[in-house]
Amino acid sequence: MRRVTVLWFLIAACLGVALFMVKYEVQDREERLAALHREILANQEAVHVLEAEWSYLNRPSNLEAMVRRHLHLVPLDTTRLGQIEQLPMRLPVLPDAESDLPQLAGAGEAAMPAFAPPTPLPRPLTISLKVRQ
Amino acid sequence: MSDAHQIKGSRLRPGKSVRLDGAAKQALEVGRNRLILAGCLITLAFAAVAGRVVELSALRDHNEPMLPTAGADAALQTGRADIVDRNGLLVATSLRTPSLYADPSEVLDPARAARRLATVLTDLAVPEVEAKLRTNRRFVWLKRSLTPHEQYRVNALGIPGLHFMDEWKRIYPQSSLVAHVVGYTDVDDRGIAGVERAFDDVLRHGREPLRLSVDLRIQHIVRQELARQIGLFEAIGGTAIVLDVNTGETVAMVSLPDFDPNLAGDMSADQRFNRATLGVYEMGSTFKIFNTAMALDAGTVTLKDGYDATKPIRISRFTINDFHGEHRWLSVPEIFKYSSNIGSVKMAMDVGTDGQKAFMGRLGMLQPMSLELPERGYPLVPSPWRPINTMTISFGHGMSVSPMHLASGVATVVNGGIKRPTTLLKTTGRVVGEEVLKPDTSLAMRKLMRLVVLDGTGRNADALGYMVGGKTGTAEKAGGRGYARKSLLSSFVAAFPVHDPKYVVLVMVDEPKGQKFSQGYATGGWVAAPAVKRIVERAAPLLGVAPVNMNAPEIRRDLLVDLPDTGGKRLASF
Repeated sequence: MRRVTVLWFLIAACLGVALFMVKYEVQDREERLAALHREILANQEAVHVLEAEWSYLNRPSNLEAMVRRHLHLVPLDTTRLGQIEQLPMRLPVLPDAESDLPQLAGAGEAAMPAFAPPTPLPRPLTISLKVRQ
Repeated sequence: MSDAHQIKGSRLRPGKSVRLDGAAKQALEVGRNRLILAGCLITLAFAAVAGRVVELSALRDHNEPMLPTAGADAALQTGRADIVDRNGLLVATSLRTPSLYADPSEVLDPARAARRLATVLTDLAVPEVEAKLRTNRRFVWLKRSLTPHEQYRVNALGIPGLHFMDEWKRIYPQSSLVAHVVGYTDVDDRGIAGVERAFDDVLRHGREPLRLSVDLRIQHIVRQELARQIGLFEAIGGTAIVLDVNTGETVAMVSLPDFDPNLAGDMSADQRFNRATLGVYEMGSTFKIFNTAMALDAGTVTLKDGYDATKPIRISRFTINDFHGEHRWLSVPEIFKYSSNIGSVKMAMDVGTDGQKAFMGRLGMLQPMSLELPERGYPLVPSPWRPINTMTISFGHGMSVSPMHLASGVATVVNGGIKRPTTLLKTTGRVVGEEVLKPDTSLAMRKLMRLVVLDGTGRNADALGYMVGGKTGTAEKAGGRGYARKSLLSSFVAAFPVHDPKYVVLVMVDEPKGQKFSQGYATGGWVAAPAVKRIVERAAPLLGVAPVNMNAPEIRRDLLVDLPDTGGKRLASF
């Protein structure tokens, strides 16, 4: 009888201590959660401000002035635009390449050696400083 | 008494209970009944509590969240939702700024406080601040929306009674670029003009950014080119619009002079005035697009017919003459190409007054625009609509519409005849419209508009490879008394690429003056057409319109207009 009472008393004491610790643990974690939320909000606000500044600095007029100052770009006019169909589809056949590889590839592939230099395009595709001047 | 003696007297034996009777017995019975009743009630209450505990913990677990959700809504709450352009770039946003207020009862020395405050916030007037600090209230605003630097310096002064309150301030990072589209808000964050006003409720309660149909890059190009023409021709203002003909989206809308919405307080009425949607003007010859489309759609003429334009038309006290007078029989394409007033009047008279009124109504020229802006002009329409009005409207006088009306009408004419509401919001998917013109009419009009650019008054708009088709317009502005010969409204409205129209571009310059390099002309062909050309050349790559070989036989064939043999007809008309 006495032993049972002591046991119950011990259990009750342990539970009490455990409850106490869990309670404080939860409280700590809640505080940490709230702190994190505050931090997230502060960061979100900072991002928000930076976004505003980013779009302010990315004003088209600002970008244009910067490009004028630092880069040698020119407006994209029609002579600088091409179509896929304008690209040469088949590269010219090199006579020695054909004689080297007759047995490796079929007749169709032999007409397109891998290392042939590309033919110059009918229109300039790169933007150069010369055109601007 | 006798009962008590009996108890005392008899020996108590186990197994034998005490028996009472009389009043004592009755009292005990009542007591026991009450006890049982109370016990039952308490048991019931406990059972109810236990039942509730079981219900909450065991049965209702699907209502209890398994994971803690506290603070899951830790999202930034700004005062108003953002406004972004069609590519997601910020157009308007809200930032938290400190505002300075004072509690005058806490201020010890108002005169000194005001003096010291003015050294930091230089735009404050000392007497005014001092008067505010001497009032009997507990709260006075001193300055709204300080910069962080100003806040630091005010704090450093250490004046008691001054406090800060965080407020949301509307910021427009693009400054004046989209001024008339976006509008502005007042100091209390209420929308006053533009989209800010039109979507005030949505912006105030929503969190999702409002996505406009405007493309900032195109808007910049359009604004720059318009400003350039206004400067070159010493004009007082102008407007330019780019519309997507297949969705009705407004890709760019500029009205100059404009304003910086960040400094909305100090702008003039002229800056605030939106010429693109609020201003209504007599458009002049650009209306011949509608006049010709009307006649072709009604079937009163075909591209092969024509009218005698040898003699000016006299009606009551007016004389209607041609600006580029040819004085001969003109076919319909020629009437359009040379912008013949005489031919246009005759074309309109064949359709008739009722037909014209109905046609204009179908195109939406008689009502304010369907556009998400509070600034929408009401068209000025003749009432009653007399034959003389029919005549003048045929070449764009006697009826005033906003430039947005014109651009939207032209979009309807070129896109196959389908009228779609114009919008400032980005749309997704197909936009259904109402067919108001026959597809054949639309094709014929595109051919005619191409003819104007190839070989007519709009040659300055011919952007290489982009197949621009359009119509010039040079209207004399109605002055106090009659029309002022010197104050013009020069415009050009174009569609490109004309074989498969994607966009409509309208440029209109208000009161350009003739310049030496333009040989004294300030017509639409000189003032507005070059701007349209440069806008198309610069914007088309961004809009994803590929240039085509304009000499390709299939494109030439599609847009060919066979001009009737004018020589023979001329002889016949004499």
